[in-house]
Amino acid sequence: MTIIEVRDLTYTYPHASRPALKDVNLDIDAGEFLLLTGPSGCGKTTFCRALNGLIPKFYSGEMLGTVKVEGLDTREHPTMRLAQHVGLIFQNPDNQIFALIVEKDIAFGLENLGVPKSQMLQQIHWASENTGIVDLLQRATHELSGGQKQRLTIASILAMRPKIIVMDEPTAFLDPVGAERIFEVLDKLNKEHRMTIILIEHRMDLAAKYVERIIVFNNGTVVHDGRPQEVLGEESTRLLGVGTPRILELARRLESRGLKMNRLPVSAEALYESLKPYLPEPRAVPAVDVRGLDEYAGEYHHQPIIQVKGINFTYPGNVKALNDVDLTIHQGDFVAIMGENGAGKTTLVKHFNGLLRPQSGSVLVENVDIAGTSVAKLSRKVGLVFQNPDDQLFEETVEKEISFALRNFGFKDSVVEKRVNWALNLLDLAEYKDKSPFTLSGGERKRVALASVLAWDPEILVLDEPTVGQDYGQKERLRHFLAQLRTQGKTVIIVTHDVEFVAESQPRIVLMAQGRVIGEGPAKEIMTCPEMLSQCSVAQPEITRLFKMLSRHGLPSDVLDVDEAFDTLTRYLKEAGP
Amino acid sequence: MSLLESLRFTRGDTPIHNMDPRVKFLLTMTFFAASVMFLDLIPLAAIFLVQAPIVAYAKVAGEWLKSLKGASMIAAIIFVTNMASFYYFRGGVLTFAILEYSLALTLRFIVLITSFSIFFLTTSPDKLSLALDKARIPYEFNFAFITAIRFVPVLADEAQTIMDAQRSRGLELDRGNFLTRVRNYIPILLPLIINSIRRSLELAEAMESRAFGATEDRTNLYELKMTQFDYVTLFIILLGVGLLVYLKLFYPGFPKLLGEGVIL
Repeated sequence: MTIIEVRDLTYTYPHASRPALKDVNLDIDAGEFLLLTGPSGCGKTTFCRALNGLIPKFYSGEMLGTVKVEGLDTREHPTMRLAQHVGLIFQNPDNQIFALIVEKDIAFGLENLGVPKSQMLQQIHWASENTGIVDLLQRATHELSGGQKQRLTIASILAMRPKIIVMDEPTAFLDPVGAERIFEVLDKLNKEHRMTIILIEHRMDLAAKYVERIIVFNNGTVVHDGRPQEVLGEESTRLLGVGTPRILELARRLESRGLKMNRLPVSAEALYESLKPYLPEPRAVPAVDVRGLDEYAGEYHHQPIIQVKGINFTYPGNVKALNDVDLTIHQGDFVAIMGENGAGKTTLVKHFNGLLRPQSGSVLVENVDIAGTSVAKLSRKVGLVFQNPDDQLFEETVEKEISFALRNFGFKDSVVEKRVNWALNLLDLAEYKDKSPFTLSGGERKRVALASVLAWDPEILVLDEPTVGQDYGQKERLRHFLAQLRTQGKTVIIVTHDVEFVAESQPRIVLMAQGRVIGEGPAKEIMTCPEMLSQCSVAQPEITRLFKMLSRHGLPSDVLDVDEAFDTLTRYLKEAGP
Repeated sequence: MSLLESLRFTRGDTPIHNMDPRVKFLLTMTFFAASVMFLDLIPLAAIFLVQAPIVAYAKVAGEWLKSLKGASMIAAIIFVTNMASFYYFRGGVLTFAILEYSLALTLRFIVLITSFSIFFLTTSPDKLSLALDKARIPYEFNFAFITAIRFVPVLADEAQTIMDAQRSRGLELDRGNFLTRVRNYIPILLPLIINSIRRSLELAEAMESRAFGATEDRTNLYELKMTQFDYVTLFIILLGVGLLVYLKLFYPGFPKLLGEGVIL
């Protein structure tokens, strides 16, 4: 049964020169679990807003064609009526929580609809049970963690009992385990309650395991539509910059080498099943000493550049953020700090340039205690790029934005100009030089923020969540860029939840949980230690999970990324083969 | 600032917290009226002696003491200026009467602070909004009130992040003369304002998606219902008001606690 019917939908935002959506025709059946994807700016977010009538009513602009939801034409019914049929959930949970108490927020939609209290209580209970937040009902909304807030936004929409839920990047701000929980909730709603789920998501490895259909947008049109294996297996999808789940990518490459896959797999388990016929019987394998890898990682013999010695930090209101943290980062290191939301990662890096001062213990940058040194002075050495570019962009042009810090540091005009041009070219921003940063897309704004820090060429670069909200192509470019910085001998520190990004760039990993450093070591060592990872709410990469299973057959277990996986497997199969 | 800070709602589950906000408001206003009606130490001390157990009963003594601490500077100023001006204008003689009068004025201030403390420390904004609703204040105002409270911590976090981001780019807030310092805040205010505008649009979208304004007959998850405790309290308040009126109209005057002697 068709629940959403889109016919010849073309939509142009006010003042825009070209349409954001062009001739979109789609039928979505009741009970589908559907993923919308495509490069940034492809029209997928616009499409979601057309489903409950926010487009065209809230945004105005010009809309042609029709959108029918459960037979209702979105143009003829106001959004507040359509809300009972389509629940739209936005990216930032903070901007859609209205009440001070959790249960009151779930009630908000129902109160607006005039639902009587007894029924309201029932629906609140049902919604909170299905999202796993029953024990949070009486809590204050501002005390919730990121993952809890996102589950609350789902519950609040769910309580209105829509048949369709539409979510725009629900897991962007969440740690991997929190993200997985959101998918479990959505999967349950889809399977048990036959709800139609429409999702925008960049975490392809996670999403591909759950969804049944993927629609790829590009330049406002639908370019692919089908089952995940088909769509993501297409070469043209990959060229658009839509990430292929690593497992699927590996399976495709193996298939091209003549291995038969009964069905292109998207999870480690499924690929393992396909590989089984080619593998010898499981046997006891002598444990491989992974630690040997340290030996050729030359950077471990470099000078320490940041030393954190037994620091503690407690925020006002008795929130203990750092608990006796010790950490040494060496010159030329590439370090990823990972861990659950609220583990103290950002608090820790704010100590590196003196934004926060340790309440006890000390921080040394280039062997000098930072106590008594101003943030401005420390920042010359330690460039900190914040997660959200909108928290710092304010100038009229990109050029001025990048020169802001240089002027603060008192560079001469001639030097400023040279540095700005250098940074513009480095990050591919030269064409936007005279544009206002506010007119740029999210990914471009993020690059401007990065350029504004790189411009003064700090020795140490710290990036907070650099991959959030970036599509696959942008992440690839960032990965290459960071590798390039490393070859120049810069120290690079990233704070991230992005397991795949880490698996592919293989930095040294520092794992944090509850204000403590739980473990640190090379990526291969940390990523093959599931107990430690789960303690920090970090999920293991699918490829690593696969090799854990394969290790029973005598393959190494410490394989993280696709390239190495493919090489290892083909070499192994060649040796084991007839 | 610390005075306002300490008036923030503290969650709890005491009869005072659960009291109907209208009755509690009436109680606060009665205390307010009583403390304005009298200028003698005895009745003001009596009011204070009624308030103290209520504060203890609501388990907000700690917060209340904080608000008193915040107000202590003003209280000291009231006491000292009164003493000094009477001493000066009454010909350089300091009597116990002057001391008593100054103490009474200071105590009046403390009683006023306490009555508002009791109300704001124990009344959740949600209940306050319900009371406003009953008073037929349009829901839009009510919603704006709750939203403002909801976003105070969010905005505070955001302001801090912006400040951190700009300081990391070499902005030094406390450098230069007064004008430069004011200009230093532009890189902080602009992103804050732009983010707020963006946020308000997102909020509006989210409100639409939650059927805001779908019906005139909005229902409410929470309801105000007078309990027996509320009725009893209301009865006691009315008795109190009667006593106050009687004292004001018919009681000749309170004796001076400290007598009439001369101190200096």
